[in-house]
Amino acid sequence: MTMTREKPILALVPGDPTGIGPELTAKVLASGQLRDVADFLVVGDRHVMEMGASQAGVTLALHSIGAADQANFHQNATPIIDLANFAPGSFAIGAPDPSVGKRVGQTLSHAIDIARTGAVQGICFAPLHKKAMFDGGWQFPDEHQLFAHLLDHKGLFREMNVLGNQWMSRVTSHVSLRQALDLITEASICDALRLTDRVLRRAGIEAPRIAVAALNPHGGEGGLFGREEIDIIAPAVAKMAAEGINCTGPFPSDTVYIKAFAGAFDSVLAMYHDQGQIATKLRGFNKGVTITAGLSTIFTTPAHGTAYDIVGQGIADPGAFENAIQLAARLAKNGGTAAPASGDERP
Amino acid sequence: MTRPPAPIALTCGEPAGIGPELAVATAQILAESPAPGAPAPAFFLIGDPRHLPDGAAWRAISTPNEVYALPKGVLAVLPHDFPAPNTPGQPNPANATGVIAVIERAVALVQAGAASALTTNPIHKKALIDGAGFGYPGHTEFLAALAGVPRVVMMLACAQLRVVPSTIHIALGSVSKALTSELLEETLRITHAGLQRDFAIAAPRLAVAGLNPHAGEGGAMGAEEITLITPLLNRLRAEGMDLSGPLSADTMFHPAARARYDAAVCMYHDQALIPIKTLDFSGGVNVTLGLPFIRTSPDHGTAFDIAGLGQADPSSLIAALYMAQDMAHKRHA
Repeated sequence: MTMTREKPILALVPGDPTGIGPELTAKVLASGQLRDVADFLVVGDRHVMEMGASQAGVTLALHSIGAADQANFHQNATPIIDLANFAPGSFAIGAPDPSVGKRVGQTLSHAIDIARTGAVQGICFAPLHKKAMFDGGWQFPDEHQLFAHLLDHKGLFREMNVLGNQWMSRVTSHVSLRQALDLITEASICDALRLTDRVLRRAGIEAPRIAVAALNPHGGEGGLFGREEIDIIAPAVAKMAAEGINCTGPFPSDTVYIKAFAGAFDSVLAMYHDQGQIATKLRGFNKGVTITAGLSTIFTTPAHGTAYDIVGQGIADPGAFENAIQLAARLAKNGGTAAPASGDERP
Repeated sequence: MTRPPAPIALTCGEPAGIGPELAVATAQILAESPAPGAPAPAFFLIGDPRHLPDGAAWRAISTPNEVYALPKGVLAVLPHDFPAPNTPGQPNPANATGVIAVIERAVALVQAGAASALTTNPIHKKALIDGAGFGYPGHTEFLAALAGVPRVVMMLACAQLRVVPSTIHIALGSVSKALTSELLEETLRITHAGLQRDFAIAAPRLAVAGLNPHAGEGGAMGAEEITLITPLLNRLRAEGMDLSGPLSADTMFHPAARARYDAAVCMYHDQALIPIKTLDFSGGVNVTLGLPFIRTSPDHGTAFDIAGLGQADPSSLIAALYMAQDMAHKRHA
């Protein structure tokens, strides 16, 4: 079904309605600029979308449908599965609200149910408010783990951060530094390299150049400040290089990102959260896209947040959300980011 | 006319590294194209003139203040005889005693007030161990021992950011254990005092990073913020110190966040080094706080692979000299 279509079908979820998500979603749909990239099915509340259109100052044509298979993409109105879970007056814009977070989680869950039927290949969601969701009962360390849970996903998946041609990934993420140290093993590095390589290839990058960051200062300086580079990371890099992945390292992490930003690599694999996030956030990756890689459904979202300081003013920039949609469409063309069913993967 | 301040003493460091050629290049660049807004720092090299590149413009001096009598662009050298000649790129253990003696001589000059600050070129520890049984973990620890202080703090500074790593050259796996309340408290106090004394910041604002992602997110991702960092910060705040944190390390370095503090105190090496190198790859200056004298150094090593080829970039050494001059000015203002 998905292979015969020229364009993928992507679900658009307007995100947390207390923030700029509905405005961004309305802007993306009203501009029509991504019409040739994908067909869109909105999953959310119709009132929220109308509020977004009004915030954006655009006119939006929507038609409500009862189920995803009723979607007609050959008319001017965008199909919406109206969950009717945000009655006007049931929330206020500009501040996080756990009762909103709870309903945002329900909306995402519904979109995931639709994706499980194969009716959409990806879910592009506008910014969430993670704490509101957590406080509203969706108690996951991050949304990626929520998605994996809702998809009953047992295997490997990772957050990736994309800006321009650079795709940053990491071996460990939202865990304490101590726990991260325990989770960094030859096997977990190999897994992360395979996943990173696969995602970049599916995005159309041939033989992606992946730099692997060291764990310790100065890359351990020959074992003086830690042996993980010698005992774990270098063997993992060698093993994956032998499998055909274009990976190199380990590189001292205080300079590897500068090299990547200068164009020497397509991707840097960090060992832990802050190692990757400090450099990428300084580099402006908040203007980029976050993807959840490795799941059966593609998930992309702008890296920026709900932007309460400008909500409702009509000035929110949809650029990052548009990039998130472009990226999901690009990955969908090549079958998404999930591992092949055989599990026997060679680049 | 007021008397010029004492010049800066620059050690030659490992002569087989890029130190000697950088000194020559720096003298020339400071004469030809000094940075706007500040006078070019006056400095002299302590080292063996035989180790300078062929054709270098230098002149021997016998006391630091003779620097001011030299033509611009000519490197002032306070000669120190080394046991052996030098081959760039090949450290000679026979010269280890010379490297150490130059550092000792520079410290004596700055402690006597004949030099206003100390800027050091990089050394090569292995050559010092092999040639002289050098028993210190590094350059900075040796300076601390010469000055008779038990603990100093390393700060890296560029125009946009100052960072202090609380732990430095240890494995990441040892950081949590090494981070004690005593260590953090010393780091914060030395940083605070250093910013007051040498950067003329009357009430320094220090931002303190968390150890864990999102600063532990209330204990969901690590406990050190709750058990160690927050109680210490609260205690020091009660004394009147202006401290923020523990902050999520990934969001504390963007421009708006940086405007809210004078220095960021980090928990481990790369947490401090990644942001400063991302902001300013070559111009970062290493400052040692807690010594009785001012010490800066360029943020690079001996670079044996390019030593003697004339390719070494002097911008970090130049930045180190400017910063030493500025600190000396502020300390004595």
